[in-house]
Amino acid sequence: MSQWSTHQLTDFFSAVNAATDEESAVAYAVERAAEMVEAEVAAVMVGDEVRGEWGFGPEVPVAGLLRADERLGVPGLGALHTCYTGLGEGRKQGALMVGRLSDEFGAEERQMLHGMAQVLGLALRSIRVLSDERGLRADSEREAEVAQTRQMLVETLLTIQRSISGRRPLPEILDLVTSGAAVLLGANSVALMLAEEGRARRLTVASTAGTPEAATHEGEAREAMAGGQALIRALSRDSVIAAPLQVTSEMAGSLVARLPGPAERHTGHRDQLAAFAQQVSLALTDSRTVEAVHEAHHDPVTGLPNRGLFLKIFNRVLASRDVATDPTSVLFIDLDRFKAVNDSLGHEAGDALLAAVAGRIRGCVRASDTTARLGGDEFAVLLHDSPIDSAISVAERIINAVKDPFRVADRDIFIGASIGVAISRETSEHSDVLLNNADVAMYRAKKEGPGKMVVYEPYMHTEALNVLSLRGDLQKALDAGEFALQYQPLIRLETGEVAGVEALIRWHSPGRGLVSPVDFIPIAEESGLIVEIGQWVLETAATQVAAWRRTFPDLTLNVNVSGHQLVHPRFADNVMRALAVAGLPSSTVTLELTESVLMSDPDLARASLTALRRLGVQLSIDDFGTGYSSLAYLRELPVDELKVDRAFIARAELTAEDLALVRTIVQLGQILGLRVVAEGIENAAQLEALRSLGCGYGQGYHLCRPADAADLPPFLERASLRHPNASLIA
Amino acid sequence: MQTPHRWFGAGHSTAADSAKAGAEAAFSAINGRTPAVVFVFASHRHDLPALLMGVRDEAGPHALVVGASTLGELANDGAGAGGVSVGALGGEGFTARARVAHIGDAGHRQAGAEAAEAMAGMNSPPGMNSPHSVLILLADGLSGDPHEVVRGAYSVLGAAVPLVGGFAGGGSDGARTFQFVGDAVYTDAVVGVALGSDAPIGIGVAHGWRRLEPPMIVTRSSGGRIYELDDEPALDVLLRRNDMPGGAAADLFDGVDAPPALGLSRRNGEDIRVIHDGDDVERSILGMSDVPQGALCWLMEADHEALIQGATESCLEALEGLGGKVPLGVLAFDCGARRGRLGPEGMQEEMAAMRSALGNTPYAGFYTSGEIARVRGALGTHHLTLVTLALA
Repeated sequence: MSQWSTHQLTDFFSAVNAATDEESAVAYAVERAAEMVEAEVAAVMVGDEVRGEWGFGPEVPVAGLLRADERLGVPGLGALHTCYTGLGEGRKQGALMVGRLSDEFGAEERQMLHGMAQVLGLALRSIRVLSDERGLRADSEREAEVAQTRQMLVETLLTIQRSISGRRPLPEILDLVTSGAAVLLGANSVALMLAEEGRARRLTVASTAGTPEAATHEGEAREAMAGGQALIRALSRDSVIAAPLQVTSEMAGSLVARLPGPAERHTGHRDQLAAFAQQVSLALTDSRTVEAVHEAHHDPVTGLPNRGLFLKIFNRVLASRDVATDPTSVLFIDLDRFKAVNDSLGHEAGDALLAAVAGRIRGCVRASDTTARLGGDEFAVLLHDSPIDSAISVAERIINAVKDPFRVADRDIFIGASIGVAISRETSEHSDVLLNNADVAMYRAKKEGPGKMVVYEPYMHTEALNVLSLRGDLQKALDAGEFALQYQPLIRLETGEVAGVEALIRWHSPGRGLVSPVDFIPIAEESGLIVEIGQWVLETAATQVAAWRRTFPDLTLNVNVSGHQLVHPRFADNVMRALAVAGLPSSTVTLELTESVLMSDPDLARASLTALRRLGVQLSIDDFGTGYSSLAYLRELPVDELKVDRAFIARAELTAEDLALVRTIVQLGQILGLRVVAEGIENAAQLEALRSLGCGYGQGYHLCRPADAADLPPFLERASLRHPNASLIA
Repeated sequence: MQTPHRWFGAGHSTAADSAKAGAEAAFSAINGRTPAVVFVFASHRHDLPALLMGVRDEAGPHALVVGASTLGELANDGAGAGGVSVGALGGEGFTARARVAHIGDAGHRQAGAEAAEAMAGMNSPPGMNSPHSVLILLADGLSGDPHEVVRGAYSVLGAAVPLVGGFAGGGSDGARTFQFVGDAVYTDAVVGVALGSDAPIGIGVAHGWRRLEPPMIVTRSSGGRIYELDDEPALDVLLRRNDMPGGAAADLFDGVDAPPALGLSRRNGEDIRVIHDGDDVERSILGMSDVPQGALCWLMEADHEALIQGATESCLEALEGLGGKVPLGVLAFDCGARRGRLGPEGMQEEMAAMRSALGNTPYAGFYTSGEIARVRGALGTHHLTLVTLALA
């Protein structure tokens, strides 16, 4: 940690400015400069004269000082490391020098010395102006005005530095900087622009005071940064002053002020803004602040701009463009299956994956476009001058790039990206509204399945609002006891007997009525509520079936399991606990999973399912035939049952193709020794066809509708007496 | 210890009679030789003119006698408070000259500058005729900004001449301290002793204190008075960090042997500032010397062993500066607050540690109300520190 703080600079600043003559200002400056960097000697040179010195003793090495020797020989002491800094622009107006026996001066020290030299130069110039004027007209009014300005400058700086040492939030500190500069200069408009990291060094307006036009002078801000010194430019009626900000020896941005009247009137103001910017630079160099500046704008995991910075950039782009000719697109990117990776492999792997994703996304866009991490597994891309067609093709490129496996923690990880696209259409649009639109479109994309891209349309907004409110209600539903289970029997087709029941969740929302699982399960999955809900389903159903088994001892239970539950580290434990509490043998329970759940992380799924299989729980593949239908995993996974998707049975009369497919699945089941269940049997013809194909089990309205727990036992009784060929519909 | 040409001796006396005490301590130190300079460090309780007469009788008419009143005395044959210790040196290759400057209205800086003139007239500095030189400052530090004494001396001598010394100790009322040159006793003065030597001079500076995190910024101060640390009233910060929230200044300072201390951040460690008083109304605290606004500082802590270890480190550093030459003797400027913290037994432990580190090289010195050592950089006041000056 450095041994000085910005407060010492303020002390230096006020003392040097309080000096009434050059000699005492220089004397104070050399003494304090040496002490603050723990140097032995210091001197101020103006022209070919050494104006003041400290620590040389009786023999001042004038020649060496005027030559600005890098290693300055001092009698009795040896060769010193030196640092010379100009008192104004370059060293024309003189220089402050410090010399130290041990250790060269570091970057931080050099910057502080630079600031001190600037302050001293400003003080010396104003002392000269005063004494000239005094000689001319002894105008005490002007003197009072200068003194007042100095006092104001010192007080403003003290306020800023107090807020830094008081660890006030960075935006507050930056606002103090701009408002302080505005008051100091009597400026209409002041803007603080900070440069982002990276080659483009885009400028972000970090704070403004007064009217917003100062923020439009990016050109002047850049020029001041490039030249490393304050500049003044004349506009038609106003003037613009820009002074560069340097943080830890790097150009960090500019302070820009717009003042009324011609440039000639404001040269004094330019110097003041330059001195003020110097002090602000030093204040921002304070280690905590540097960190805060960076942290405030960038995501530490990916190094990308964060949401705050992204919106600022976006706002600036929106404000500066011509809508008709420069359409701006924003992509909202959400990773598919990221949560599963994070949960199963840990945060470190999750972070590595995010960093790799960031790299791939950046590889799909131009250098001038902006990529940001909004938080979690969400990214955004701002495409400049980008009509809808090119935005869509960028989105597709990103989807393809993310689809390729990532090598993380010595494993291949397969994830995907869902992308929403929004295009700016009106001048009045705000960045946060557009980003939100892209988010809404992304949500739609997500609903259509992994790896999809959707362009925002206004109607989606209403839908999104519904989802939001649904999510809110869902969160309360479990505690409020709004969920209930229905049970749909699985019928052994050959005999018509009830083999088991599948538990199906129902949500009776007081405000919405009956909400379909199709609508609320994805939201429960997205919010993570599914783990709790799933557990409730398992516990409730297990208790119910255990009770029925006292009358129907062969009854089994099928329960649907979400991918989020499966990858939960305590999933197997939770299942076994629920069955133990209910007193239901594990061998009577079959967990139903969809193919996509199994495929998203086969390794993890296999581990979890193998553990459960070992404990006797059975496994069913739901909706078989619609997804990958990979034979490989049927061999690898401990599968006991295949459920033929209703899509293959939905037609009132099955076609030859349908039948061929179902036959294949039935045969596959027979070869592998698996039960095959046909879903969605709705009429007698379908039932007959399936039975003739040798399909073992069936479910559907024709056989039995899902029923409340209280209504099922009479059916179970009847079913055990019915003729197998009769319809089972009550 | 004596080499063929040069010697250094130390003595200590606890005799009640001032003349006798002076004579006893000087006799042990001088041992019949002809000294170039005699350093006398004596309790203010003594009849100081009488004590100096006793020293003079032993030192002879030509010796330069200099010294100061103390907060305790130390020498290799003992340490205590209320007595006198004497260090004397002589032989070929030593030159010494003294100047006394009254502080008064001119202030500490002016007095420091005048005292440094002792070095002038000793031919071309910064080494006089001697290849090695040091300015020893014995000063009153009870008023004003004591650091200005160092700045004043530095303004004259520059970085080529190291500065060491101590601020004199006074009575418990703290009202007056005394400085001696020749046979005269001064108050409110700075004595500069220019010492030249043919052989290298070593200086050690160590304290044995540790930082207590986190650091704080002195957000408002003036001279030695600190009003705010991290924008919070300084007294409240000290009370809180000493587990006495809501307390008063008296809880921290009254009758306390070990007042709190702050360490100012330096490139090579810390400068310690003893905080010896507080103000219940303005919630400020008061240190012995300048604590600049904006400085980074730490609350410091030290246990007994660390303080003793600090003494060892200071001695070893001073010996190291001799470039392998055999040490003749050492002048020691030890902080009065260290004595307070260590207690009577701890003082004896400290003496044992010094004797052991110095290998029985004789030493004499005093417990100060502030130490001076400027070797690197331009700053030079210390607190809670042992400054040692080794001669070869």
